[in-house]
Amino acid sequence: MARNRKEVEIVNEANENAIANKETEGLSQGQIVFRRFIRHRAAMISVIFLFSLIAIVYTSLDWRLGNKEKPFVIPGWWKYHFEDMPELRYADCPGGTVGCPTIDAVPFFDGDGMSLGEHPFGQDDIGRDYLSLVMRGAQRSILVMFIIGIIAATLGTVIGAISGYFRGWVDGVLMRLVDFIITVPVIIIGSVIGFHYGNKGAAFLALLLGIFSWTGLSRLVRGEFLTLREREFVDAARVAGAGNRRIIFKHILPNAVGVIIVSVTLLMSGAILTETALSYLGFGVVAPDVSLGLLISTYQDAFTTRPWLFWYPGLFIIAIALCINFIGDGLRDAFDPRQRRRLSRKDKANARKLESRAEVA
Amino acid sequence: MLAYVMRRLGALVVILFGSSFLLYNLSAYSTDPLADLRLSDAPNKEQLILTLTRELRLDLPPALRYFIWLRGVLGVFVGNPNFGLTRENEPVIDAITGAIPTTVRLVLVATFVAIVLGIALGITSALRQYTRFDYGMTFFAFLLFSLPIFWVAVLLKQYLAIDFNDFLVTAKITPGWIVGLSAAAGFFWAAIISGTRKRVTLIFIGVFVANSIFLSIISATEWLAYPRLGPIAIAVLGVGIAYGVTYLSMGLSDKNALKTTLLMVAVGTVSYFPAQAVLDSNRPRLGMLVLFLILLAVSVGGAYIFARIDRGPIIRTSIITSTLIGVLILIDKMMQAWRPFIESDDVNYRPVATIGQSTIWLTEVPFWVRVLDFAMHLILPTIALTLISFAGYIRFSRGTLLDVLNQDYIRTARAKGLTERTVIMRHAFRNTMIPLTTIMVGDIAGIVGGAIITERVFGWQGMGTLFNKAINSFDLNLLMGVILFLSTLAILANLIADLLYSVLDPRIRVGAGK
Amino acid sequence: MKVTRIAKVAIATAAAAGLAVGTLSPANAATRSTVVLVTSNQLTGLNPSVSNMNLTFNSEVAYMQGFGFNYYDNSPKLVDNKIFGSYKIVSQKPFKVQYTVNKGKVWSDGTPINAVDLLLSHVIASSSYSFTAKLGDPTDNEVAPAFNSLSYGGVYDEHHVGLPELSKDKMSLTIEYDAKIPDWQIYGPGPSPVHTLVLMAEGKKSLQSVKANIAARDKFEKAFYSYNTKLMTAAGKIWSNDYNINTVNDSTNPLLLVGNGGYILKTAVPGQAVTLVLNPKHKSNPSGPATNGIKTVVFRIIGDGTAAAQALRNQEVDIYQGQPTADSVNLLKAIPTAKVIGGDQAVYEHIDLRVDNAAGSTDNYTGPFKGMDQRAVDLRTAFLTAYPRDEIVDKLIKPINEKAVRMDSLLVFPSEPGYADVIKNSGVSKYTQGSQAEREARALALVKKYYPNASATNPGFTVKLNWGTPSNARRAASAQLVKAALGRAGINVDAPGSATWSRNLASNAFDAFFFAWVKSSVTQQGNANLFCSDCGNNYLGYQNKVVDAANTKLGAVLLSPKAKLAEYLKIEKELMKDAVSLPIFQHPGVTAVNAKLQNVKPNPLSPQLVWNYWEWKYSK
Repeated sequence: MARNRKEVEIVNEANENAIANKETEGLSQGQIVFRRFIRHRAAMISVIFLFSLIAIVYTSLDWRLGNKEKPFVIPGWWKYHFEDMPELRYADCPGGTVGCPTIDAVPFFDGDGMSLGEHPFGQDDIGRDYLSLVMRGAQRSILVMFIIGIIAATLGTVIGAISGYFRGWVDGVLMRLVDFIITVPVIIIGSVIGFHYGNKGAAFLALLLGIFSWTGLSRLVRGEFLTLREREFVDAARVAGAGNRRIIFKHILPNAVGVIIVSVTLLMSGAILTETALSYLGFGVVAPDVSLGLLISTYQDAFTTRPWLFWYPGLFIIAIALCINFIGDGLRDAFDPRQRRRLSRKDKANARKLESRAEVA
Repeated sequence: MLAYVMRRLGALVVILFGSSFLLYNLSAYSTDPLADLRLSDAPNKEQLILTLTRELRLDLPPALRYFIWLRGVLGVFVGNPNFGLTRENEPVIDAITGAIPTTVRLVLVATFVAIVLGIALGITSALRQYTRFDYGMTFFAFLLFSLPIFWVAVLLKQYLAIDFNDFLVTAKITPGWIVGLSAAAGFFWAAIISGTRKRVTLIFIGVFVANSIFLSIISATEWLAYPRLGPIAIAVLGVGIAYGVTYLSMGLSDKNALKTTLLMVAVGTVSYFPAQAVLDSNRPRLGMLVLFLILLAVSVGGAYIFARIDRGPIIRTSIITSTLIGVLILIDKMMQAWRPFIESDDVNYRPVATIGQSTIWLTEVPFWVRVLDFAMHLILPTIALTLISFAGYIRFSRGTLLDVLNQDYIRTARAKGLTERTVIMRHAFRNTMIPLTTIMVGDIAGIVGGAIITERVFGWQGMGTLFNKAINSFDLNLLMGVILFLSTLAILANLIADLLYSVLDPRIRVGAGK
Repeated sequence: MKVTRIAKVAIATAAAAGLAVGTLSPANAATRSTVVLVTSNQLTGLNPSVSNMNLTFNSEVAYMQGFGFNYYDNSPKLVDNKIFGSYKIVSQKPFKVQYTVNKGKVWSDGTPINAVDLLLSHVIASSSYSFTAKLGDPTDNEVAPAFNSLSYGGVYDEHHVGLPELSKDKMSLTIEYDAKIPDWQIYGPGPSPVHTLVLMAEGKKSLQSVKANIAARDKFEKAFYSYNTKLMTAAGKIWSNDYNINTVNDSTNPLLLVGNGGYILKTAVPGQAVTLVLNPKHKSNPSGPATNGIKTVVFRIIGDGTAAAQALRNQEVDIYQGQPTADSVNLLKAIPTAKVIGGDQAVYEHIDLRVDNAAGSTDNYTGPFKGMDQRAVDLRTAFLTAYPRDEIVDKLIKPINEKAVRMDSLLVFPSEPGYADVIKNSGVSKYTQGSQAEREARALALVKKYYPNASATNPGFTVKLNWGTPSNARRAASAQLVKAALGRAGINVDAPGSATWSRNLASNAFDAFFFAWVKSSVTQQGNANLFCSDCGNNYLGYQNKVVDAANTKLGAVLLSPKAKLAEYLKIEKELMKDAVSLPIFQHPGVTAVNAKLQNVKPNPLSPQLVWNYWEWKYSK
């Protein structure tokens, strides 16, 4: 009985393969990946959400460019800048606190409609508008995250790939470089630079962190390459006359991409937290600039007394990290050469239609 | 192989020399050991500054001081290393050897739990790809991963320590909680097992009812305030363990395996009574050893009696079972110490601790009370570290298993007609472990130095605390000691990972390729 | 699989039901006998008089283990401990003081205390004794003296005459000074178990009989008066080194732990806790032999404020004192089992302006505030006038301590007598008159004198402000407020935070500094020496003859309270006139205590919380 069911399933599997193959006929690798990605619902929602978030965040505040006294201003959609210092609101706050949020997100039921008010996310200790601080923080955190992600992904993948593919002395040298870098704590480098050159800002910090955070990834990629390079399809490619570069990037890398993407997305969402930890120790993004991590660590005591100071930056961190990870999930599935999508009934019907049409033609 | 390892160890020394020289000088140039004195209002401030300059040799350039330090460290080759003194006149080596057990205790348990839970959930998630359970797990994992540890710590302390301790005063579970917890359990199991709608509903109802009854009884008997297992519960739980372990490793159809493990349950339950005496003696550690040796011997013997074929795996299965039963006996022993523990003046009815490694001033107490004390201090930091680190394992094991499941050999295995259990546990799971192992090795090395904030918020004195202290108090000797230790560990971990690669996957030859 | 699980659950349920039903009834919670305090510091040594070991926490632990002739209460006022002994002036010229130990006081090893036990105070504070007994030169730059004490070079060293004299019955000691020095009470001797030093110098590792102890003490007395270099050097080595331990357990030499205080050290685990237990033979502290039932005092080391507050909430600790934030105070107030005691610390925040080259700097200060000419004084005045001190207090301090006030005197705390008089006459009013907006307007007018185009949007000049590390949220917020307010007065403030700010205190690159000074003792001189011309803590390059004269007078002669205030006022007037420095606020301190624990009274001075440990008790 059980055996019967298994057979049926295998037969189905063969059919589905045929359907899936049919669908990807005549498409390039890139197009296939793209199609698969588009179909990943959670990833697509995350992409849309993340891009709108980035758009909202980066257009919110005025951009004050040029010299400090007479800046060239590109106005943002929010009235306050994070450096502005409006009056601290003392009134109408629960439990004797000050500067509570004015946002009214309850429609109709409480008598009035939804409104933002003067300070939707509240104000900090000295009256700065918290919405503008959170927006600025998100700008910095997103910047840090992407810079770290890009640097670490590039360095880690390339060095790991070369190391694992060529082995021998190349591997030896590159992996000893990795060993060297993991012995150097970023905090020390950060403090040395901070000590001698002052604070260099978020982008510089991200650059520094990126340079020190690719080692884990490179070892992971190297491990994958060590395994994959012994596989039959690599031999086949070599026999077919493919060069090293082609084998690395066209044959092996797509097979390793799953691990790379999982690792990079974890790294990117981890980057926000790394930055939080560094800010906490005084080496990250520092006052008067803000990052989400800095806001959270500054107001960690506030989680029961003035929860808004804690929750808004926290929500942004979680939202960004979740988006990045779901996008990574979608990418992983899309790149996986063996991955099959679960076919819906509609797909099967369509495939059948296609098939019949092909026969007709 | 040996030559390869020797070469790597040689490289280790060179790297350590280079990085320590660099770091020593960088740190020396970027710290100000006199900072505190500058703010002092002592009348003899000049004198104090002079003394400190003399003690730390601040009159010498850092490069020169490095070689003075190095001379002491190189004593390691003649058996007489000198890592210098900390700013508090404590030998650095003492500070570090004092911190290592603490860190190991913290990191080992947390990493173990994270790995087991992470892999279990990751595999379940992969087997249920694109179901609600999968999405839920992904969401949950990323959510935890995105939380700053200090915040997790604050919440855990509030709900699992403070509120739970308050709750323990009566240990009565309110009906609302019973319904809520049971519903959560029902949803969890229904989501994992899945199937037709009818089946899911049945599972939900079954789990819900069983859980509600269970919790009600726990509440009514105040079991949480007066926890005990006793031989009956050990026997019952043991049978469950026997079935579970046998199912996962051999399959329930293997009657020999089942018999062996059930025998172990019987032996374990019977040994409960002599075990009490052994564990209460004044050599409890020896008692534990004896207990485990006996269980081990019986499990090997039992396997020989019952199993004629497949002996190896059955022995393994029965060893796992008997170890778990042994753990149950020890848990029971700790539960017996529960009342003396919480009623003592120092614990004062607040058993779940939020801070510190132990209630140190709890002196002259029975061994098991002390063990319980350690355990109660370990709970929260372990949960916190586990929560934030197991997301990675969920993701990696899910991804790797999905990769593996799409391999041709899995298809072949299925086509041969092997059961799904055998395919997953024997073929897929093992291959999933290859990349995971190397990640684990790196993680364990990394987390030792990476628990700075965890150690701080839970008041533990481990390597992270030392590192942080060294940076904040400009203590160069201590800083270099900690860095040297952590660097060595990290590099050795990489070496071990490389060796494991070639052991786990014979196709890989790390040392070769010239 | 399903069957297994359900079976498992069912059977486990049944088993649980059969277990331990009503086997035990809840015990009645007896009155606690343990007090657990939070400290953020580590114990580094048991002897806080050794150079480099003088940390607050070491002193607190030492305070609980020993008691002498007097102590500070929380007013803070010096109180005589009549239980232990007494002291009196026996001659005005030459100025002589006699210290007498009461009969019947004993060390924790049972040895009776007498005046020989006071002699060590002389050894560790007198350079001349160190010279004569060939114990080393305390001022030598290469080698530390046998007694590596931090008391050399202090007031006692400079003013004592000859050797202290023992009375016949050896219960009194008479000390002669070259003048009636200010605060002579606090420079007097304290008891130390000198017999343990001798025993340890002889290699003993365990407690000895009382007889042997007395014999050892006699040896010390003889060695002291005969300048016995050998014995004193051996004792000095022990004194300087053997007490510098951070771990105490059963294998610690018990001779190191002998004391006469209410409690003796039992265990110390680095980074974790320090445990003291009741000294069964204590008779010397102000309660005499009486106890309040507290048998164990534990200092638990917790670096993180939030963690400490939660530990208090979980009743793992009984007393928490820390650097609070507005939120943490609310958090503490919400704890039902604890009461919160507000208060001020002996620390005050202030703003300093650079006047000239910092002491020891090699470059030249060229900023806008340089010199004493009218222009520099006006610009400094403008800066201080517009400095938003009220706003800082209102927004950053009052949420923590509702009673906080702006501080207006650099030398007298608002709670101290004479404060009102000093601020009325010191001339500080030019910085306090009117509202903040009016002050900003006045400041802008002053700036406009030299920078006619200056306005709120077009600053006249830039001031570089050094304010501390960026991770200090309160200072960072202060800096933001300062930047905004001074901007409105036409002064641009460049305020980069830096982890190495303390090194920048002596940097000519900065024009202004705000940070905090600690007042660590209540001496007559107070912190007047922050402003004398070449003093170590004068980073400002400020030189003023009137200030110097007043400072010298305060340090040398004992003055009446009124005369002392007059000297303070002289200094303050100069400082206000020259626009050099302004105080801002006293740091708020918050102590939260187990609601059942009584008589915990925070003291702004060391030994802070433990000063009256013998009064602590739990209510029923």
